Amino acid sequence: MKRKSLFLIFGLAVLGLVLALFTQPSPSAAAETKTVVIAFTASQTGKLNVEGMRQINGLNLWVEQVNAAGGVKLPDGAAVKVAAKFYDDESKKERVQELYTKLISADKADFLISPYSSGLADAAAVIAQQYNKIMITAGAASDSTYKKGYTLIYQSYTPASRYLTGAIDLLAKLDPKAKKVAIVYEKDKFSTDVVNALKAYAEGKGYQVVLFEGYEPGATDFAPFINKIPAGVDAVMGGGHFVDTTTFAKQLYEKKVQTKMIALLVAPPEPKFAELGEACISVIGSSQWEPLANYTPELAKAAGLEWYGLSVADFTSAYKKKFNEEPSYHSAGGYVAGLILQKAMEKAGSADTAKVKAAIDAMDLMTFYGRLKFDTSPKAHGLQVGHDMVYIQWQKDAQGKPVKQVVWPEAGKTASAFVCPVR
Amino acid sequence: MQAWRQAGFWLPLMIVFLWGLAVLLIRQDTARETAFTLLMCVGLASSLNILLGYTGYVSFGHIVFFGLGGYTGFYFLSQHNWSLLASSLAGGVLSAGLAGLVGLAVLRLRGAYFALATIGINEAARAFVSNFEPFGGATGLFVNFSAYEQYGGAGPALWTAFTFLWVSTLAVLATSFLVKHSRFGLGLMAIREDEDAAMVMGVKAPQAKTIAYVISAFFPGIIGTLYFFKNGNVEPGDAFQLHMSIESLVMVMLGGQGTVLGPMVGAITYQGLRGYLLTSPIFKSLHLAVAGLILLLIVLFVPAGAVGWVRGRFPRWRRVLE
Repeated sequence: MKRKSLFLIFGLAVLGLVLALFTQPSPSAAAETKTVVIAFTASQTGKLNVEGMRQINGLNLWVEQVNAAGGVKLPDGAAVKVAAKFYDDESKKERVQELYTKLISADKADFLISPYSSGLADAAAVIAQQYNKIMITAGAASDSTYKKGYTLIYQSYTPASRYLTGAIDLLAKLDPKAKKVAIVYEKDKFSTDVVNALKAYAEGKGYQVVLFEGYEPGATDFAPFINKIPAGVDAVMGGGHFVDTTTFAKQLYEKKVQTKMIALLVAPPEPKFAELGEACISVIGSSQWEPLANYTPELAKAAGLEWYGLSVADFTSAYKKKFNEEPSYHSAGGYVAGLILQKAMEKAGSADTAKVKAAIDAMDLMTFYGRLKFDTSPKAHGLQVGHDMVYIQWQKDAQGKPVKQVVWPEAGKTASAFVCPVR
Repeated sequence: MQAWRQAGFWLPLMIVFLWGLAVLLIRQDTARETAFTLLMCVGLASSLNILLGYTGYVSFGHIVFFGLGGYTGFYFLSQHNWSLLASSLAGGVLSAGLAGLVGLAVLRLRGAYFALATIGINEAARAFVSNFEPFGGATGLFVNFSAYEQYGGAGPALWTAFTFLWVSTLAVLATSFLVKHSRFGLGLMAIREDEDAAMVMGVKAPQAKTIAYVISAFFPGIIGTLYFFKNGNVEPGDAFQLHMSIESLVMVMLGGQGTVLGPMVGAITYQGLRGYLLTSPIFKSLHLAVAGLILLLIVLFVPAGAVGWVRGRFPRWRRVLE
């Protein structure tokens, strides 16, 4: 019996291998038309799979639209088709470098897109730079990646150092007399980067940071931190990722913390945040992009910038049609990573790394996602300097249900921000 | 005892030696990356086996030595410009020292209590590092890309890291064999079978266990430094991942605990299979399910691990398959 079952297992394994060999795509199939390979790893499984998949959905939508339009049109009239090639990275860093090396050497990638999250993107960046491949990062906000001396890595997100600073500007507008800010944050790379910059910015503007405390990732009880928030504080800021920030917002409400403004990371822009009900009202969050954002060709013209690509409404409806859900900023980030490459290839007139790099270095334009411009100094090459965060606030609609409104920057707002009601 | 006269000593060493040599000669990057992942797992599983396989003590938090040693080595490398050799040795020495201190305290615990304590140590180390400013706190450390220049650029630097890892893996396997066939190793195995009886027979169990713990912690420290050097950065979240501990345990059990060749076979099978499934055109969307199914089948039908099963079935091969 034992031997029989072992033979069975062995037989199945051999069968699997044979099948795998016979279904390899033949290499000559795509040789006729010129095609560039855009390669990346996707967090299809593991803890980052929700954000990772949205990013990939956005990117795939771009690939589909470009190819449906006949490919990227070069100035000499030629068109270049785009093929996406990817593997699952399981949201873990262990295999990222191995997979990117395979994508470059075995799958002949021309351009790379980063995996979702700063940690994974960091590991991939080493490989991209080493093989002289351009990599557009999406979902990688930490500033440090761009301060390591890379020359081919470009960031599509607003960096962590500017993630919450707009909330201070908004606070100044909301209540010019405000002085005291309490910051409670998750102790991980991203949130720490954000709040360190936030603290420096707030103090530079004359605010007093009365509390600056970090909690361990995975924390579920914030009472010790909330109890430490002094009375008469004007704003509570910080948070970390979705689960902890949502709990933090809920407990702030339950503990009846009196403050004028609550501005938190990551969680508020997610539609699921509305499930907090009353506790989500007046909470402000920063987002890389929102379907409500009103970036338009007119706005670009007013700012003296070139407009490129589809409109916000077209992106949102195409995404909804294909994936049956509202696009999040992760989706927009994935799409725009492709858009950057498309524009750069059009300008460079080829898919040559050096020419495309020069085109991205010189890029300064506006898209449905906002402005895009990259730092070109050797110290922070590739850092996103053009794009700004939008700030949303949960308000009540006519039926009293929670609804998201863009409240900052002033130019793109859909409603005015209000001070936290008395709890 | 003359180890070099025994086939069992040479078999695992020759496999890894020829494999690494082939990768270095072919000089193909994809082959190097695959070999790096696999050799890293062979090294981690084999060093865990020195504790788990020979003394029977299950350490769930063994990855702490990979993380903390790697952190230390990376700190010297990135902040003090130490060479890769010096910093990886520093990582190894720190891990071994920590294991010595911890071992004296927790190796008095037995069975499940020891296993639980090791998880606690891993979590404590993570909490410590995320609050320790010289190690960058929660944001971690990174090397500037130009740091690779002293190795002739990033490409050659990755080859250097690979060569170091190759040599370290050979060292782990040689150590594993030498421990198993020494008087000390016999003492460890006596502890595994019955600790009280072993003590009655004159084995100084607490010391012997601590020494085994120290040896098994030294190599993960080195491997950690090499891994983070290759990645270019280190963060608390990546350094102390409990799942990597569990995976090493699986590899040891798969190949056969208490054998020299077993952890190597287990690591190559487990990670090789995962790597293949991840990139194969048919299975890439189903890879976790398929890997789980195969693991289940192996555990059901070959509980002693591959090498253990062969040794049990073909007694004549025992001299070769140590």
